[in-house]
Amino acid sequence: MKKKFLSAFLATAMLATSLTGCGEEKKETTEATTAATTEAAAGDTTAAPADDAAAYDECTITFDWWGGDSRHEATQAAVEAFEAKYPGINVEINFGAWSDWETAKATEYLSGNNPDVQQTNFDWIGKYDADGTTYLDLNTVSDVLDLTQYDEATLAKCVDSKGGQAGVPVSVTGRTFYWNEATFEAAGLSVPTNLDELMAAGPVFKDKLGDNYYPLVIGEYDRAILVAFYLQAQTGKPIIDENNQLTVTQDDLKKGLEFIKSLEDAHVIPTIPYLDGEGADSMDKSQRFINGEYAGIFEWDSSPAKYVSALGDNGDDLVVGNVFPELQSYSKVSLMFSISADTEHPRECAMLLNYLLNDPEGAAIMASERGIPESKAAYEVVNAAGKINPLSAQAHEEVMNSNPLYWNPLFDSSKLKGDTSTYTTVFEQFSYGMDAAGSSYDLDKAAADLYNGYMDALAQ
Amino acid sequence: MSIENNNIETSEKTDITPKADIKKSDKVEMTPVLGKKSLSKEAKRANRNLMVRRGINTFLRYFVLILVGAIMIYPLIWMVGAAFKNNSEIFSSMNPIPIKGTLDGFKNAVKSYGGNINIWKSMLNTYSYVIPQVILTVVSSVLTAYGFARFKFVGHDILFGLMMAMLFLPQVVLNVPQYMLFNKFGWVGSEHYLPLIVPAAFATETYFIFMLIQFLRGVPKELEESAQIDGCNVFQILIKIIVPMIMPAVVSCALFKFMWASNDFIGPLLYVKTPAKYPATIFVKLSMDSDAGFDWNRVLATSLISIMPNILVFFAAQNQFIEGISAGGVKG
Repeated sequence: MKKKFLSAFLATAMLATSLTGCGEEKKETTEATTAATTEAAAGDTTAAPADDAAAYDECTITFDWWGGDSRHEATQAAVEAFEAKYPGINVEINFGAWSDWETAKATEYLSGNNPDVQQTNFDWIGKYDADGTTYLDLNTVSDVLDLTQYDEATLAKCVDSKGGQAGVPVSVTGRTFYWNEATFEAAGLSVPTNLDELMAAGPVFKDKLGDNYYPLVIGEYDRAILVAFYLQAQTGKPIIDENNQLTVTQDDLKKGLEFIKSLEDAHVIPTIPYLDGEGADSMDKSQRFINGEYAGIFEWDSSPAKYVSALGDNGDDLVVGNVFPELQSYSKVSLMFSISADTEHPRECAMLLNYLLNDPEGAAIMASERGIPESKAAYEVVNAAGKINPLSAQAHEEVMNSNPLYWNPLFDSSKLKGDTSTYTTVFEQFSYGMDAAGSSYDLDKAAADLYNGYMDALAQ
Repeated sequence: MSIENNNIETSEKTDITPKADIKKSDKVEMTPVLGKKSLSKEAKRANRNLMVRRGINTFLRYFVLILVGAIMIYPLIWMVGAAFKNNSEIFSSMNPIPIKGTLDGFKNAVKSYGGNINIWKSMLNTYSYVIPQVILTVVSSVLTAYGFARFKFVGHDILFGLMMAMLFLPQVVLNVPQYMLFNKFGWVGSEHYLPLIVPAAFATETYFIFMLIQFLRGVPKELEESAQIDGCNVFQILIKIIVPMIMPAVVSCALFKFMWASNDFIGPLLYVKTPAKYPATIFVKLSMDSDAGFDWNRVLATSLISIMPNILVFFAAQNQFIEGISAGGVKG
């Protein structure tokens, strides 16, 4: 009896397989009539090779991205406009939120059925394109995709191990300070512009406003970045250089940790135990930040919107600060667009990207949904239309003014960044003054653990 | 919860008399019991004391129950309240009642994404694979459990051991190999949610099989034997004798599967590739962009709307469900 059931199930399964197998043959390529399309591309003036773009195949390409509401809306609108401009190219879209998005994409890369065009994260080049065969070398389609709109240096960051252009950098981001001006005013201070002013603000906050007021709040990962900024200012080199080498010694890291300790001691930043007491996983969810007790944050130039929204009616109090002269920043490519090396329609994919990134029409719709555009053509259009969040624009300017250094994606390696990884454990235990087992955890131990963490991550 | 409370209360009331008698005799042991006709003053006072103590007792019991109940239900109430708050109010106050109420959350929750997907469509999508999943899971699990519990066949013990070992295999481990398999079949991005539905037909929920086998052990074999004498074949025995006997367990399986399947996030994320086909679990998260920030009230409002059917189903089947779980526990 059981055998019969089993065979029945198997038969059904096989039938289902064969049925879908037939249904999958969707991607058809038909030669388009060139006459109709020349007209369509005639209005396209930005991209130099616009005339060549006239010829394209009618086809279906797949495209996916992650993000939030407004990004979904803008990108969908831009894709629709693209389809209207180039009739015959059908773009199948897919989008979602960031959480677990990479899990889904990783399985796709493993099975080789990733979409033709994708929004990609900077560290994906190293993770999923190590041999340079996942993403198309965009230089091969540069007649359609105008790469001259980007800085050579920025483009060079998105190169895979074989020298192929694995992605177009959509935007570049870095960290700076944001201050709650109202709290600083209440303490009788202006917002700090260098480290000494910040250090001096700690005691003033404590005396004038109370123990629960701090001029700055930073979590474990923020501390790791601040240590990097602090040490980079001393060495003048990126903490992890282009050759995946750590440029600082264990003693240097010790100095960096001492710097963090000095901030805690001067009542500039709250300790991790104090932060854990509230338990907010980011400051936009912290009651103390919303109340103005934490008067400063150290954040990406792309993120102020969520803090402004968290402050509610007091959103205007948040102002952008500069990167202190005592610190040396880095900047990183926040995200890229890539084309799959396996795509059957590289040219049409490149046309889509060019439309989204460089074409004034497409760029205007995409606005600054993926950060302030790196593409010069897009920046002009978006800036002229006033579509860049002024706070974000100002923060971006501060970051760029600080002459940011190179940033190696290994800095964010899962061995270093993550809830149970080096940055979290070292800075947490160091701030608590004891390790998870309860024995004391001093500066030397913290420096050694941090150093070993880096070595471990770089040895990969 | 309230049903249970009532039960306790009524049972208390019914045994008032015997208990009171015992208590009375304890308390009033100094004075001889004179019978109902001539209750002494002491006895009356003792009776009154007893009533007061009983009152305090009840009060305390209810106090604790209400307190704990309130703590348990607080997050749900908070969620409902927070759906009407803006971001800064959500994180700055524990009060579940919104001060500056806003309906934006609900207005945005019913908005569609470029005409591709909205909350109603996503809920429909969810149930279009959850219901087949539930049915297939129940049918395949009952069949498998019946096989293991009632038939001896070659390799029975090894197969049973292997099946039990599956209990300890986390889904995460299966994700990648399964994905590659389904990709070979061409099922990834299938319009009919094949990778989500088809595995359910192969009794992949080991826990259910285990639970049903435990139940089956409590069903006397004599019943089946007499059915056999009456001319039932094995399949008829299953349908006519076994299934009605283990109905509470079957309902539990169905409900568990219903809840798990409709809460599944990673499965649809891996296998559904078109926004128009997104189920509610993914739809709820669509607007969450941790970098740029988002409106929590919208997310909470969407969640609230999308859990409604689950709550309704749970309450509708609550009695059977609880009976199934507790009976399973006793007999196991």
